[in-house]
Amino acid sequence: MNNMKYSICFISFIFLFMMSMLNFIFMIYFIMNKLVILLEWEIISFNSISIVMSILLDWMSLLFMMFVFLISSVVIYYSKSYMSSELNLMRFIILVLLFVFSMMLLIISPNIISILLGWDGLGLVSYCLVIYYQNLKSYNAGMLTALSNRIGDVLILMVISWMLNYGSWNYIFYLEFMNNDWQMKFVSSMIIMAAMTKSAQIPFSSWLPAAMAAPTPVSALVHSSTLVTAGVYLLIRFNMLLLDTFFLKMLLLLSGLTMFMAGISANYEFDLKKIIALSTLSQLGLMMSILSMGMPDLAFFHLLTHAMFKALLFMCAGVIIHLMNDMQDIRFMGGISMYIPLTTLCMNISNMALCGIPFLAGFYSKDLVLEMVNFSTFNLSIFFLFYLSTGLTMFYSFRLVMYLMINDYNLMSIYNLYDEDYVMLKSMFILLFMSVISGSFLNWMIFPYPYMIYLPFNMKMMVIYVSLIGGMFGYLVSNMNIYSVNKFIMTYNLSNFLGMMWFMPNLSTYGLNYYFLKFSQNLVKNIDLGWSEIYSGFGMMSIMKKNSVLYNIYQMNNFKIYLFSFVIWMVIILFMMLFNI
Amino acid sequence: MMKFLFMLIFMIPMCFMKNMFWMVQMMLFLLMFLFMNLGMSLNLFCNFSYMLSCDIMSYGLIMLSIWISVLMIMASENLYKMNFFLNFFLFNIIFLLIMLYLTFSTMNMFLFYLFFEGSLIPTLMLIIGWGYQPERIQAGMYLLFYTLFVSLPLLMGIFYLYNEMQSMMIYFLKFMNLNIYMLYFSMIMAFLVKMPMYFVHLWLPKAHVEAPVSGSMILAGIMLKLGGYGLLRLMIFLQEINLKLNYIWIVISLIGGFYISLKCFSQIDIKSLIAYSSVAHMSIVISGIMVMNYWGFIGSYILMIGHGLCSSGMFCLANISYERLHSRSLYINKGMMNFMPSMSLWWFLLMSSNMAAPPSLNLMGEISLINSLMSWSWVSMFMLMMISFFSAGYSLYLYSFVQHGKYYSGVYSYYTGVSREYLMLILHWLPLNILIMKIDYSMIWF
Repeated sequence: MNNMKYSICFISFIFLFMMSMLNFIFMIYFIMNKLVILLEWEIISFNSISIVMSILLDWMSLLFMMFVFLISSVVIYYSKSYMSSELNLMRFIILVLLFVFSMMLLIISPNIISILLGWDGLGLVSYCLVIYYQNLKSYNAGMLTALSNRIGDVLILMVISWMLNYGSWNYIFYLEFMNNDWQMKFVSSMIIMAAMTKSAQIPFSSWLPAAMAAPTPVSALVHSSTLVTAGVYLLIRFNMLLLDTFFLKMLLLLSGLTMFMAGISANYEFDLKKIIALSTLSQLGLMMSILSMGMPDLAFFHLLTHAMFKALLFMCAGVIIHLMNDMQDIRFMGGISMYIPLTTLCMNISNMALCGIPFLAGFYSKDLVLEMVNFSTFNLSIFFLFYLSTGLTMFYSFRLVMYLMINDYNLMSIYNLYDEDYVMLKSMFILLFMSVISGSFLNWMIFPYPYMIYLPFNMKMMVIYVSLIGGMFGYLVSNMNIYSVNKFIMTYNLSNFLGMMWFMPNLSTYGLNYYFLKFSQNLVKNIDLGWSEIYSGFGMMSIMKKNSVLYNIYQMNNFKIYLFSFVIWMVIILFMMLFNI
Repeated sequence: MMKFLFMLIFMIPMCFMKNMFWMVQMMLFLLMFLFMNLGMSLNLFCNFSYMLSCDIMSYGLIMLSIWISVLMIMASENLYKMNFFLNFFLFNIIFLLIMLYLTFSTMNMFLFYLFFEGSLIPTLMLIIGWGYQPERIQAGMYLLFYTLFVSLPLLMGIFYLYNEMQSMMIYFLKFMNLNIYMLYFSMIMAFLVKMPMYFVHLWLPKAHVEAPVSGSMILAGIMLKLGGYGLLRLMIFLQEINLKLNYIWIVISLIGGFYISLKCFSQIDIKSLIAYSSVAHMSIVISGIMVMNYWGFIGSYILMIGHGLCSSGMFCLANISYERLHSRSLYINKGMMNFMPSMSLWWFLLMSSNMAAPPSLNLMGEISLINSLMSWSWVSMFMLMMISFFSAGYSLYLYSFVQHGKYYSGVYSYYTGVSREYLMLILHWLPLNILIMKIDYSMIWF
């Protein structure tokens, strides 16, 4: 299938790329003319309630769609080579296309019922993509992913019922009007919870690293730049409702903790894809926390730039995993910069963009975010969460670079690495270009006026300080020798806690499964096979049996007894008639 | 209305001719087509002939029963191949369809009761005659006695009603208002067992496990909906007392729905899992009806139709695996994706419809039911969340257990899906997801 010149990958690439460019043009037109288009298709209207399917096109949705189309196009082109030995390539590509389709539906619908089409679709299709490989690990990861996302779906269903009183589910109309309505409190808390499940914030974050069981192109598209940002996008849309609420402060704390937790866990991880997944989690925390400080435009900005370089990072990781005979452990890698310079180039640039090295994509968004944090009036814990996480970003990025590129190659003594897979490289170069320029280009395009930041020198340099310290630590940690590794035993429990994402994977799988499944077993044993049966079918049968045996005994008796009982009965009736009872 | 009845009656001799298996199916398709074009311009009872008529509510359910009957014939091709009492099987289906048609379209309370119970006989015949294991006798007994035990009080209730109303017209029920406890319980218990409500659901998994595919399809597709239909019809003269006592049923159903969803995780039989999932869905339907508001009524109606199509399709899928592996155990039905990748798509689509993914009718129904129950009391939110969450849990559990991973190593021969099966599944899934485009036919009916 993929040996043909016009394979499904190539056709989809062309189509998606064209769509991306089209969206780009429309976006420029919309942003220049300040256009917003709202299309509504009324499905039904009764009892003064209308259920509509709505489509909202403004610069934000168009820009997001452009990015999603671009990333998906290159990812599909990339998977032509990455998945070349896959028998069911068609199935894979169709699943990815379905995923993109549901992402589009999510982006364009400002209606809480019609958003379900995209929201549920994302959950289901990503489930199919996570369990794409036929092994137990992907089975478990898929179940964890799907059920964590299902919590969000259920909360959206509940939001629908809380919004019933407003007469329509076009939430954009009610964000400012119904701000102080008490039912809107439920709505906002549930929306935040739903967004937290999709964006893997702290109680729900175990699914994101687990979802790395998916093929790498899927990780590049789904679990780095689109699906997980759906929650952030939803909150950006809902932002007007949430401003200055208690829930947003909770979100700020949780997302800050997510950012910090993921940053630390990434340093303990040895799985290449999981490190990148945890770094995604950390960046999602950053987006969520800047959003919960009341700056949705910055969150959106970081979302877009992050999508570019994170997809690129995953694609580089895919190339490396391919070359390492599907080995993902970074301890077996090393020195690859000598053999695959072009991939290393992409990887380093995306890593640097992630760390916020000046004038790459990440710099514009991340530096702005951090300076706005400095500029705002939150307390010290939030401040430290932000800056420690920034340092940790540099920390794990440097560690990754050291492990992958600097040391010796550790896998096998005979090896053959090649950097001539042009299908992968071409698709990576598109994103490489974008992860260099997208920061500045978005910065000039989507902010009508620049943010004014006025800080003392040391505060201004704070980002650079923590980055340098983090980078230094990253260098040192990756060069540790056997004695220093032994010292980790002294802090064994702490390392366990930090390295296992604060035990969240255990808590959200074994911690819940056991009790529910035990309860379910008990229910079956005690109710379905127990009391219910005794008091209905089985019990009735046994009573009937007993009584029929009794009647049998009665009937086997002498005829005399019948006559006798008849006489007694008559006597009783006579007495009753006599005494008028 | 009479013309369709006569068409059905005159199809009975056709069942006993030779080589008429597909012809009967085609005739039922024709009937479906004719019935679909019935002018339903009013929201009231229309198309009267003799004592038969239909409003939107019975229109949809009659359509569903014809549709499921067609697909039942399509699903039981195995009987056709083995020539396993084929004529009597066809007669059974036609007889069942006549019973269902009359139940939904009759205007007379007593006749409604008569046909309501009459539809039990062909179902019992299906289970006992074409089922698989010897346990089917017990399953048939459970099916029969559970429903009969509570339906005799219903008969008494109907007689009492005749005494009060001096008429049996269903339409006139709306002018009555009877606040009698005994009457209330005797009137609704039959339907609650038929639905089935939690605690009296035991007959359903048993019957499903032992029934042939056609029996399971009709049980899940229509028989459960008879209960819902009866409740929707009779609730109108029990309004006042129902508003006093509805919390009993709602509480039992909501908590029971949650428990049943949990029980699905302990099932190792595919069919019994699907049967339990229907109980979970029906529990929300019961609570939606009992709340007695507009959203609840339409929601339960939509969910009944959606669930009828969806669970019937899932039983078809279970049978497709059964015909190949001769087992319904989850431990043997594994890794089907390696054998039938295209069937895996249909598994997924029907599973996702079962967990109320958009744009299925189930989602619309669930949204309406959640709306109605939340307007009754917002505390029911928690149980609804649990039911909704675990419905995804067991659907995905079933899907991934059957489709994903390694296949059972004792499989020696296998064959992929045939076009008949794909057509059957499409005919289940398509109405389920297309009907939402014209949802006003299900939403505006009184």
